[in-house]
Amino acid sequence: MARVLGILNFESNEATLGGLNDSRTISAVSFLGRYRIMDFQMSNFTNSGIDNIQIYIKNFPRSVIEHVQHTNYNINSKRGKIHILHGEKPAISELYNNDIASFAANMQYIEDSHAEYVIIAPSHFVYIQDFSVMLEHHIDSGNDITILYQSVSNAKDSFIMCDALSFDDDKYVRDITKNLGKYKNRDISLECYCLSKKLFIKLVEEAQETSSLYWFKDALVDKIDTLKIQGYAHRGYAACINSLKAYYDTSMQIRTSKILHEMISDNWPIYTMTNDSCPTLYRDEGKAVNSIVGNGCEIEGTVINSVIGRGVVIKKGSVIKDSVVLPGAYINKDVYVENTVVDRYADVTHVKEIKGSLENPAYVKRRDHI
Amino acid sequence: MKQKKMVAMILAGGRGSRLFELTKKVAKPAVHFGGKYRIIDFALSNCANSHISTVGVLVQYESILLNSYVARDHLWGLDIAGGGVFVLPPREKASSGLDLYQGTADAITQNLDFLDQEDAEYVLILSGDHIYKMNYEKMLRKHIESGADATIAVIQVPIKEASRFGIMNCDKDDRIVEFEEKPAEPKSDLASMGIYIFTYKTLRKYLTEDAKNENSSHDFGKDIIPNYINDGLKLQAYRFEGYWKDVGTIDSLWEANMDLLDHTSDLNLFDTTWKIYTDDANTCPQYLGENAVIHNAYITQGCEVDGEVEHSVLFTDCLIKNGAKVKDSVVMNGAVVGEGAKLDRCLVMDDVKIPDGMVLGDPKSEKILLVTRQTVSKAGEK
Repeated sequence: MARVLGILNFESNEATLGGLNDSRTISAVSFLGRYRIMDFQMSNFTNSGIDNIQIYIKNFPRSVIEHVQHTNYNINSKRGKIHILHGEKPAISELYNNDIASFAANMQYIEDSHAEYVIIAPSHFVYIQDFSVMLEHHIDSGNDITILYQSVSNAKDSFIMCDALSFDDDKYVRDITKNLGKYKNRDISLECYCLSKKLFIKLVEEAQETSSLYWFKDALVDKIDTLKIQGYAHRGYAACINSLKAYYDTSMQIRTSKILHEMISDNWPIYTMTNDSCPTLYRDEGKAVNSIVGNGCEIEGTVINSVIGRGVVIKKGSVIKDSVVLPGAYINKDVYVENTVVDRYADVTHVKEIKGSLENPAYVKRRDHI
Repeated sequence: MKQKKMVAMILAGGRGSRLFELTKKVAKPAVHFGGKYRIIDFALSNCANSHISTVGVLVQYESILLNSYVARDHLWGLDIAGGGVFVLPPREKASSGLDLYQGTADAITQNLDFLDQEDAEYVLILSGDHIYKMNYEKMLRKHIESGADATIAVIQVPIKEASRFGIMNCDKDDRIVEFEEKPAEPKSDLASMGIYIFTYKTLRKYLTEDAKNENSSHDFGKDIIPNYINDGLKLQAYRFEGYWKDVGTIDSLWEANMDLLDHTSDLNLFDTTWKIYTDDANTCPQYLGENAVIHNAYITQGCEVDGEVEHSVLFTDCLIKNGAKVKDSVVMNGAVVGEGAKLDRCLVMDDVKIPDGMVLGDPKSEKILLVTRQTVSKAGEK
């Protein structure tokens, strides 16, 4: 495969998971019992043979640094390198804290890399994609830029605020707009871009001159008429985690056996950090159905249709239904939890019922005692 | 000031023939245990948690997997400067050719050059096949304080079982005055755990002497310890309280796994201050299907359960299909229990595929049934 620099990009400012990303980036939010959201894109990179990766973060570096340091995503650590980068200067306001500013601040590291191509992938999207196949297509097609997209028929209630692409007959991109949930069928950009490093550098430089508020995707819109920008269809499951509801929905969808096996299989391993927790103990009446459960849990209550993170304790008489419980949470006796996201290390003892809805899942804050 | 160094030497070369098929191609210390571990993880994690940085692993029997496993010293955080895990198989030497390890003491004698090179002040001798958590640092402190030449960890056993162990008879200060291997009429209930700390200089002398003795079996329990006692050297007992198990047989291996369910607090694997480290498998979290029924189970990542699991331990990546019933059993890595199959008091070996509807094991049997590929194909022939 040609030499590629993988760039893991951060989410735009309007993406927020409520309290879940109050103290960490979306990429570092716990996901599916034992992963972080970024593990999927990072494993896409390394499973595709890309071992030179830059991870951009706009704030809260601690959890990303800790996680990446211990995961390393199965690359040869001598030949490959995972670089964690952020805008060196503090942004005057969050408005200026965009990907273009970050790329510009770290341009020397981009220039220094021996790569011919860059593949940019967003850390808050979850899908499986072999980037080497996409790159091959990109090179064969003679495109300037190739954008990964997914044709969806549920754009009214998913991929809200994501970019929707309009194509001409030859799959060249004619327009990029926001999906505001107006249409059922849309071609949603998976915000993964393949282009030469040279063009990438040029686009970043020009974008900076145009506006300090530009994001990389804004720079693309300006080039629709002058560059060959083509879509490349992704097949299989894809999700964008840009709201608490999207986080909840994605967790619930992947929890089902079929999608779980599609997303996590032996021939496309998803790497993550080990926590050296012991297996999970189901004591007495402790049980679980239709659920995924991380290691190190002690379950004495009932878990139904849920995702339970590592080291969660669920005491006797409690029921967790259609919910996501993040690592280290403690659910005391006789608590009923439904359609809820319980954040890390929360302790639910005194409140005996927490109920959200499918439309609007409830959220229990990190380290809260309720 | 640079600390005086204690080097750990883990004896991991035994055949473990009482585990039958389990140890046919894999040395006993590398046998899986407790869902996600291998037996030797306990000794190695204890070393790491006790701030020991140099560990020699003495291997001999079927050691390919064991060698490559322990050599990945970062798994236990032992990849530190000046330390590491050293795999020590018998080797050809310029002076003596290739000799297999003749006994526990001989294994150390053949590696005196390694201990010299590591500048060991103290040597900790461990077994690679015991399940327990122990702070060797505390034991070393006791060894130094008491001014002993050797310190032996002992555990109280029920007196009626004492004749199965090596028994230490001590004076009131826990100084060992007599050692009896499996005595018919035990005088004490303090059993040796096979864990020794030796001051290296003295040990070196005794091992060198012992190597020259043609009548010796070159064993710590049979030769070296008695020689220390006979010569009036100071041997101190170090009392250990807590969970400790030698998993030498199918029954005891099964039982030790069950202890994780029935006596969770004795060997507390949830304790984050003394974790047991291991190779983390890249698998899904565990998945409990629509028909999963769980009563009292210990289940690890990668498992998929759509049947009934009662009072059992499931290891990494095992699959319990719809309608299957697993009771009082231990199911090892990657094993599959087919639809409607029933297991009772079984220990299923790695990667065994139990066909749909097969019934194995007996709830009334005192013995645990080891289920191997052969068991399955034989049962299929009926």
